[in-house]
Amino acid sequence: MNAKCKVPMQSWIMAIFFALVLLPQTLWAAFGEDLEKPKPEFTREQDKITAKFIPRAKSTSVTIAFEVLGGKLKDVTPVDFATANRPGIDSKDFRSELYMLEITDVKPGAEVSVSMSSSFFSSSTEIWGFNEKLKDSWMKGDTENLPLADRVRQLVFQVKDGGAFDGDGAADGKIVLVCGPKDSFWGYAIGTLFIRFFGIFIVLGVLMAGMIFSGKFFQSLEARQLKTVAKPEPVMPAAAKPVEPEKEDEISPEIAAAISAALHAHFTAAQSSEPLDLSQSLLTGWTQHGRQQIMTDRFKTFNR
Amino acid sequence: MTWEHVLELIKSILTTQTGIPSLAVNQVLMMLIGLFFLYLAIAKEYEPLLLVPIGFGIFIVNFPLTPLMGFSEHGAPELIRFFYKYGIEWEIIPCVIFLGLGAMTDFGPLIANPKTLIIGAGAQLGVFITYVGTLFAGFTLKEAASVGIIGGADGPTTIYLTAKIAPHLLGANALAAYSYMAMVPLIQPPIMRLFTTPEQRKIRMRQLRPVSQREKLLFPLIGVTLIVLLIPAVAPLMGMFMFGNLMRECGVVKRLSDTAQNALMNIVTIFLGLSVGATMQADVFLSWKPLMIFCFGLVDFAVCTAGGILTVHIMNMFLKEKMNPLIGSAGVSAVPMSARVSHSEGLKADPDNWLIMHAMGPNLAGVIGSAAAAGMFIAMFQ
Repeated sequence: MNAKCKVPMQSWIMAIFFALVLLPQTLWAAFGEDLEKPKPEFTREQDKITAKFIPRAKSTSVTIAFEVLGGKLKDVTPVDFATANRPGIDSKDFRSELYMLEITDVKPGAEVSVSMSSSFFSSSTEIWGFNEKLKDSWMKGDTENLPLADRVRQLVFQVKDGGAFDGDGAADGKIVLVCGPKDSFWGYAIGTLFIRFFGIFIVLGVLMAGMIFSGKFFQSLEARQLKTVAKPEPVMPAAAKPVEPEKEDEISPEIAAAISAALHAHFTAAQSSEPLDLSQSLLTGWTQHGRQQIMTDRFKTFNR
Repeated sequence: MTWEHVLELIKSILTTQTGIPSLAVNQVLMMLIGLFFLYLAIAKEYEPLLLVPIGFGIFIVNFPLTPLMGFSEHGAPELIRFFYKYGIEWEIIPCVIFLGLGAMTDFGPLIANPKTLIIGAGAQLGVFITYVGTLFAGFTLKEAASVGIIGGADGPTTIYLTAKIAPHLLGANALAAYSYMAMVPLIQPPIMRLFTTPEQRKIRMRQLRPVSQREKLLFPLIGVTLIVLLIPAVAPLMGMFMFGNLMRECGVVKRLSDTAQNALMNIVTIFLGLSVGATMQADVFLSWKPLMIFCFGLVDFAVCTAGGILTVHIMNMFLKEKMNPLIGSAGVSAVPMSARVSHSEGLKADPDNWLIMHAMGPNLAGVIGSAAAAGMFIAMFQ
């Protein structure tokens, strides 16, 4: 690398980086409304309640089906993450937002099995619960992550009436559970970054291989066609009168220079397997002008 | 009629039917920004085809009470909102522009040296670095992706992706992309010199082989097949791009090709520029985000340039015939500006080193690479 080169652009880039790092985090928060906040719509089908919403970092909607074994799922409502925001917890990890499940008809003090099923879950998705009455309000649920058909995964975990996850804190036959599926945001963001960056290499690499292959094929095809078309030069009869070339309009010296240079460059390139070596002695104003004109004409194609 | 009545009438007209009392400072500021971009476009000739309509769009939309970007009482879109809704929101204009670009593009240099496709991939480094940077700065994933693609230096791709995943950033992203594309001759040379030695800049490359018309004709078909099979999300952009190129190379639809290259391209450029400019209303635009987008956009361009050059250095470790690393900077797809910059930097090192056509390969690869990156992001959010 060229260490000697003094570049003002470097200073600019460094200044921008430092400015971005040093600006307080509160500024980033001042960006306005949360445009990606999921807005779930619920439908009930017997004992199953399904939430349909567009999760964070997605453009298409997904569904989560909530079911309960050992009690009756009375209602599911969305919970604003701001009410459960605590240090060390990142709302970005909860891409499907939080939900409050009201479960009734539970035997007092008994455990119920809560399940959430969605094709949006991955094998690393966990259920985290929130109970504002506890000192450590956020708890990781002991979740079973089961694969189902059609790439659906089911998260199942146990909640005890009056236990840590029960928001009302009493073994009264009713459970209020605030919870949400959690995925590592940074794990997803950085992981997908690498996959996609190298994905571009793969895509363009495949295209390159296709082009090299087709290029070789067409070159050999054309070489074969040239061979078959090539015929011996006809011999001129001695008595034949030389044909006078038709007189055409005169061309300017500049165009003649450009044509000559083009022909020279073309035939030299076609014969040579090595890079062209135009030594200084060949560099006259005439050849320079010709090359400049050729390049400028060719380049016109790319001007947008 | 008394004087009082007349004065009241004048006051009523002034307050309800003219924009003068409603003119706010932030609107005036936006108008000045619009005029600044008009100045850059007209006086400095920085991307005038886009910056003139964008600048005028910013200028006109910030006048108070103008029926341009809103909806009428009956819910019908107003003039520029109409262009925006059907042109950009429906993702039509960027794809039509790609059609025109395809019809204008000669893939000869890329077909002659397909290795340069890898440079086009390497030059997308900045897209992904910026994506992480913007995430750290508090942008959402979709916003980060839309800002990252600015470094791809492809205006229509930036607009297409942003309109799809973060439409509220459309104005800032498009403006940053086109501004920096116009400033490629200022941004790239210092980075090029930083990442190359004088010896490396003098490397001469073998003249490109002639490419037959048959190869040129089949390239759009082979290209679209492979790319769309691997990234279906990019089909609207890549399909139109390759269709435009097929029209150009097949030689039997010269009228259509000519229309796509000229009349159609010019028409959609007008609507695109005006619509993008008109999204920059004071209440939306004047915040920290656009400012940060401009900062990140610059870093993005710089890293993409460096990424292309570094890719050539890595490739040279394995190649018998070395490539001049200056052509790596052309991997950003600002066609043909960045190829010109590679060429002029090469000439500075060796007055007889003609890199222009060699640089066109990575330059065209950059177009494909940035569209592929956009496709990757679109697929990620599906």
